[in-house]
Amino acid sequence: MEYPDSEQRLQMQLERLQSTLNRAFRSVPFHQNRFQEHEMDPYHVETIADLSKLPFMERKDLGEHYPYGLFAVPLRDIVRIHTAPGTNLNPTVTGYTKQDLKVWREMVARALTASGVTALDILQITFDSGLANWGRDYKDGAETLEASVIPNTPLSLEKQLMVLRDYKTTVLITTPSSASQLVSYMFHSEFNPTGLNLKTLILVGDTVDPEFRAFLEDKLHVSVWVQYGLSEVPGPAMAFECQNHQGLHVSEDHFFPEIINPKTGEILSEGEIGEVVFTSLSTRAFPLIRFRTGDKARLITEPCSCGCPFARIEWLGERTDDLLTINGVKLHQAQIARHMEKALGFAPEQCRIFKQQHSYLEKYGARSYLEIWLLMNEKLFSDEIKMLQKLIHNAEEKLHENIGVPVKIKLRESRTFSSENR
Amino acid sequence: MLRIRNLKCYYGRIMAIKGVSLSVAKGELVSLIGANGSGKSTLLQAICGLLPGWEGELAFRNDSLRGLHPSAIVQKGISLVPEGRLIFPPLSVLDNLKLGAYTRYRKKQHIEIAHDLEMVMTLFPVLKERTRQAAGTLSGGEQQMLAIGRALMAKPSLLLLDEPSMGLAPLLVDKILKTLVQLRENGITILLVEQNAQAALKIADRGYVLETGRVVLQGNSEDLLADDEVKRAYLGKDYGDFYDGRG
Repeated sequence: MEYPDSEQRLQMQLERLQSTLNRAFRSVPFHQNRFQEHEMDPYHVETIADLSKLPFMERKDLGEHYPYGLFAVPLRDIVRIHTAPGTNLNPTVTGYTKQDLKVWREMVARALTASGVTALDILQITFDSGLANWGRDYKDGAETLEASVIPNTPLSLEKQLMVLRDYKTTVLITTPSSASQLVSYMFHSEFNPTGLNLKTLILVGDTVDPEFRAFLEDKLHVSVWVQYGLSEVPGPAMAFECQNHQGLHVSEDHFFPEIINPKTGEILSEGEIGEVVFTSLSTRAFPLIRFRTGDKARLITEPCSCGCPFARIEWLGERTDDLLTINGVKLHQAQIARHMEKALGFAPEQCRIFKQQHSYLEKYGARSYLEIWLLMNEKLFSDEIKMLQKLIHNAEEKLHENIGVPVKIKLRESRTFSSENR
Repeated sequence: MLRIRNLKCYYGRIMAIKGVSLSVAKGELVSLIGANGSGKSTLLQAICGLLPGWEGELAFRNDSLRGLHPSAIVQKGISLVPEGRLIFPPLSVLDNLKLGAYTRYRKKQHIEIAHDLEMVMTLFPVLKERTRQAAGTLSGGEQQMLAIGRALMAKPSLLLLDEPSMGLAPLLVDKILKTLVQLRENGITILLVEQNAQAALKIADRGYVLETGRVVLQGNSEDLLADDEVKRAYLGKDYGDFYDGRG
């Protein structure tokens, strides 16, 4: 792979950043007003470091400008519209121009190449419906590499395994929890991994600790690669592992990373752990200017021996906000509560929200789901247990449809509601 | 080769170029497109030292161009083919060309100059036929060739052209642009300013779109040619082609 030298890259980043700011300022009232509130004009940003003078964009801004308020091009230039769960009732809607899709295809293809994927591979994609956007982007990127792609389709574990085995899949792209579920299923159904052609497992949506990585590599006879993206905007593979597996290279030609102190917003010095903030450098339809991801990471700028000059992040998995990551899908507590209200038809007096794992195997082999505890009260109570079951079942289905991850609702008495150890 | 960062140019108190950054690598042909008044010519004038008082960073081969006299900039290897050609009408074609090599005569490069004169005549055979003719009597296309020839006589490594297609018939525009491709193949780096966006992008490696003094878009020329915004604003496509009642 050819990369520009550091001086060229710096110039390219600056040029792209400035034209991104110029376009956002020109076309998006939200951005223009924020520049003006800070008594700034795009030309005040003379170096990449000057970005720090600009305010942050947050997830709530995306919901507040639902659906098209942050688009920087006319709708007639949009060729794809994505929806992802937002932080409140409004989902996050993002758009892509033809050019944007081209950039994504190339970016995803580059990340796949770094994981050793070639045109000879058979690549299978398996995500929850909440990550369907990534499914499309990975399909496009892999097709650009001319790999044979089995696109993302909701399949039972049994069918998934059948496809993996019969279609001779060599690369599987999925989330860590789905991968562990697969391992657990395989071992329960006495299927030996030697029956698979799988050699590469690309995990996205959540971090993978070394122990878990070793577990999967051992159980599936594969090498594991981690990639990072944003599930709402704008896509996957913004950062990717190279053969050294020491941090994830950020696609700095398209996204500029900053690490900030989540409390003060100050930029942290190199190597310190903080929140990752991204600014898009080439996106046309939906520019992100200092977007707070809520993900915790550390920036590594020492050159990597793989030759890729892009800085790396060590992605730490924890979050700086109260978002839950379930099978790669990011969910906000308040948003879940509001969906709950819609599904039930009234606001539950009290509810508690947890990330849970099915426990087929003791530690791993678990697939995450959302568990919601509702406090049993007169409003909920019905003397017909069927009615109650139906209400809960409907609410579970509605929630699943809206947020794209499995949901389990449990009714609790006040005695156990706050005290019981889950 | 040419690196511009945060360039600001003023006409009195009006900021005509508002923090432009752009770069041209050795051997590249880069087109700068934009509507009337977007600041394209202003930018070229600043590079050539014709517009003092700019702010920011203008560097050629990593040397700053700040405070340099236009002739010193020509000696560094930057030549401008100005808008409207600005040849010397009463002088002969040959004298016009020789004037282009003005800074080199003082360095006694007579042999090289004769060689370059030959090169220009080969590039534009029509000029050879008219060496003694007063430049003002040439046709528009021939005058443009003369203006380019004159700029080449300074033996530039970076050639700047300001609207070379202006006022020319399509066939001649084609000829002039083909010449630029040939020059690039001969190793000359080119920054081309054009209103004729389609023609300019077709021959370029990369392009920048300037809008009211700001760069709003840059990229490979094939990407820009395919870009809806560029098509609408600069390629003269009919609105109806794009959104058939939508939007």
